[in-house]
Amino acid sequence: MNRSTDDLLPIGLEDRLPQQAAAVTRIMRAALTAMDSFGYDRVRPPLVEFEQSLGQRMHGIDTRRMVRFTDPESLRTMALRSDMTVQVGRIAATGLADAPRPLRLCYGGEVAVLQADQLDPARQRLQIGAELIGNDGVEAASEIVSVALAALERAGARNISLDLTLPDIVDVLADQAFPLKADDIASVRRELDTKDAGGLAQVPGGEAYLPLLYAAGPFDEAIATLSRIDAGGALASRIEGLRQIVDKIGTRARVTLDPSERHGFEYQSWFGFTLYAGDARGALGRGGSYAILGPDEPAVGFSLYVDPMLEAVGDEAGEQRPIVFLPVGHDPETAQRLREEGWRTRAALSNSCDAKALGCSHQLVDDSPAPL
Amino acid sequence: MPSPLTFAVPKGRILDEALPVMAAAGVVPEDAFHDKSNRSLTFATTREDMALIRVRAFDVATFVAHGAAQIGIVGSDVVEEFAYSDLYAPVDLQIGHCHLAVAEPADGIAVTDRVSHLRIATKYPNITRRHFEARGIQAECVKLNGAMEIAPSLGLASRIVDLVSTGQTLKTNGLVETAHIMDITARLIVNRAALKTDARIAELVEAFRATRAAADKAA
Repeated sequence: MNRSTDDLLPIGLEDRLPQQAAAVTRIMRAALTAMDSFGYDRVRPPLVEFEQSLGQRMHGIDTRRMVRFTDPESLRTMALRSDMTVQVGRIAATGLADAPRPLRLCYGGEVAVLQADQLDPARQRLQIGAELIGNDGVEAASEIVSVALAALERAGARNISLDLTLPDIVDVLADQAFPLKADDIASVRRELDTKDAGGLAQVPGGEAYLPLLYAAGPFDEAIATLSRIDAGGALASRIEGLRQIVDKIGTRARVTLDPSERHGFEYQSWFGFTLYAGDARGALGRGGSYAILGPDEPAVGFSLYVDPMLEAVGDEAGEQRPIVFLPVGHDPETAQRLREEGWRTRAALSNSCDAKALGCSHQLVDDSPAPL
Repeated sequence: MPSPLTFAVPKGRILDEALPVMAAAGVVPEDAFHDKSNRSLTFATTREDMALIRVRAFDVATFVAHGAAQIGIVGSDVVEEFAYSDLYAPVDLQIGHCHLAVAEPADGIAVTDRVSHLRIATKYPNITRRHFEARGIQAECVKLNGAMEIAPSLGLASRIVDLVSTGQTLKTNGLVETAHIMDITARLIVNRAALKTDARIAELVEAFRATRAAADKAA
């Protein structure tokens, strides 16, 4: 095999070179700082765990796409984490089971899958998020939305747009108001997922769900449409909850509602949201309410993904930082003083080193940096 | 000026029926679009903020799913085949009616219920696999891009899965339809993120919905 194919990276995996790496670091730091300022403590779970503990902490987690292998020590199957939320759930249910509630935790780290999504080839992603454990009420949901917006704003995202959803709406309605046969629930969900009015009307009992398709769009109009659906009061508390959450958002984001949106909400319960911003084509993050299985504890939280955030924020956002070139024979103490003042320095190893070629903006002349 | 919108339409079957529906919803292509000798792939419309692209049906779904085009028209066969998670199909346009079916040679039909493995020529490997899996049969698909009707007679596959509108092509090639998989109509499709972040997309969906409602009333 020749060298050029030897060095190829597998599809969906990439190097972050200096400019992008700097942008990623800046975004991650900004988001974590925002979460920290709301009193969320950072935790650092391991990269690899037993498959079983990653798979059963929340509803609807599928371990099939995780990178899995056998642990030579325990002979059990281990998996690379594909979502850190599950790990935080485990921590809350075990190591921090006795910590006072509500428990506020945040995290940032790499996650990986063996097979990428159809539309997004990335198999490794940087996930940043926060979880509020012990409560999934309106106040908690409101707080988590506010923390998510603060994290995005601090990272430099503009024109933020928030899409709200009610992930368990089909279960709630199918229970009494618009009954469905067990077999048809999956069909109704699938047609709602593609917003296919034609297909929905063909499912027995599916017609009753059509109004959900029209209750989507800018929040004020959509919530009014949703309120007019007569479901015997089954939705009243959820609608009221959404209104209170949106009241607190004010003008920080454009708010839309899509009550039947389920994409990316595998384990969420009554409330979910998707974040969009600026020119990014995809979602920047998602969040909502869920239950941590085992202790069956309610929680709310959100996760942001850095790649779409890079698209929204741009990797030019940080201005070129000045660098001082230190010629051969410079005074080390002066250089140290400059670094302590916050300058970046780049030292010549020999006289053949060229300040401009090495990307320096200044040069040390006598005791101080002079622009090149 | 707002960012430009791209509307993707499929070459062939559905297009002639789609143009009047699009016109009623306010999407009218420039005259060059109708000029058969024009080799352009992108066309202006009467709306300043919208361009039209004419691509293969399967590519309409791909362009829209990736957000390269925000909105388009395509048959529900294509929507089902890809099952792209970022694609919505909010309006059934009630045009381009046909259905997807399994067909096999009129002479010499194998009995399906005793076979666990079938070789099938189709443009729709995903739908085909799902259809047969649900019946406990492993379908081995040979992907063709057209003219599947000749596959059984040449021994490439025992059966085909293809679109049927009148059934004439099957008949001419000595095939009979043995199972109906699904009814197909053309759908307006939109990109998920575009619908949620760009109010113009929601307006277009409403316009197409209204056009459909008016047509239903007239019928």
